Amino acid sequence: MSSAPLFHEQTARQRLASLVDPGSFTEFLPPPERVMSPYLPLLDIPVSFDDGLVIGRAKLGGTPVYLAAQVGQFVGGSVGEVHGAKLTGILKAAARDGIPCVFIVESGGVRLHEGSSGEIAISEAMRAVFECRAKRVPTIAVIGSDIGAYGGMGILTTCCDFRIMTEHGRLGISGPIVIEKWMGKQAYDSSNRALVWKTSGGKTKFLLGDADVLAGDDAASVAAAIKKLLAKSAPLTIKILKARQQELEKRLKTFGETSDPDAIWKALGIRNVAEASLASATEFVALAKKNRFINH
Amino acid sequence: MEKFEKTFPSKPLAWPRGKQWALAGVVGSGNLEVLFERNAKKPDKMDCRVESSIPGYKGSWLAALGDFAANYPVGGTKVTIHDQGADPIVVTFRLRQAYDHLKKTP
Repeated sequence: MSSAPLFHEQTARQRLASLVDPGSFTEFLPPPERVMSPYLPLLDIPVSFDDGLVIGRAKLGGTPVYLAAQVGQFVGGSVGEVHGAKLTGILKAAARDGIPCVFIVESGGVRLHEGSSGEIAISEAMRAVFECRAKRVPTIAVIGSDIGAYGGMGILTTCCDFRIMTEHGRLGISGPIVIEKWMGKQAYDSSNRALVWKTSGGKTKFLLGDADVLAGDDAASVAAAIKKLLAKSAPLTIKILKARQQELEKRLKTFGETSDPDAIWKALGIRNVAEASLASATEFVALAKKNRFINH
Repeated sequence: MEKFEKTFPSKPLAWPRGKQWALAGVVGSGNLEVLFERNAKKPDKMDCRVESSIPGYKGSWLAALGDFAANYPVGGTKVTIHDQGADPIVVTFRLRQAYDHLKKTP
């Protein structure tokens, strides 16, 4: 066992500190500025100095980057008006300066307490992602904790050029409990952790091509994965979007009727599902190499 | 919510050069965030502001904060706390953690 802290157990600030070049991080709107939610006090809910999002500038292997890290413990990492404005701001700065933008995502989506202003905030952030993409400024999302990326943040994450996941990360639109409430426990049991991770977890998302990289659960592995993507960008053209649509249609046709996620793993070339479930990220990538649904 | 302010006497803290603040903890269930800021006007006082989601424990707060001000040299500091139900041992731990962040040279 390595003695490095596990990425999924770190807080947002710890993650940033362990990812970037030592001492290179400068926070924008740091805690003493007290840019906080104006809505939560009205509902008698405690506020946080950073509204659950730490943003700033740093260097990664000498390359300047803009960073945003969500604090999942604070109201589920949800995007309120202030949180969303910070997200949009860092993306607009990235587009303006031509500096890559990296998100450490840990969020259930829009902060429902803040209603429409939360919804608008996340839409503005999505628009800002496309501003970056139009200028070919790389946007990279890292999903490395159990809270994962759901709701609006699931959508925003998939708008980015690239997604890095660890096996602890989860990615989706409706969360497991929401699906269970709508479809019934027999259709989807949200208390079945193996089922939940086999449908929305990092390994499955990597096999399906929704995640571009499967990284180890430590800052060094995540940082190495980010560095490889900093000089790249995924162009966004009508032709590429149509091809992606076809891939998704093919996926639906192939797996749409499948109720057992293990069958999907097997169909994608994982012979020994039990062994692959326990495999490290590196081992899993080697197992999956030839059989991923989409090869970039 | 319970909100209050209180000032405690404390030995002056030698603020490290370049440091203006330190933060420990996050606002989450059973947890809290503590912000230390420089308060040069009152070198022998620790000014505290507490906002807690759980009302009725002001006595415990004052005891925990008073102990901290007596045990550590934190004069010249403004302490702001956002709490979501942390118990006293966690409060003491986070105060100590913020103090350590402050003393640690960058």
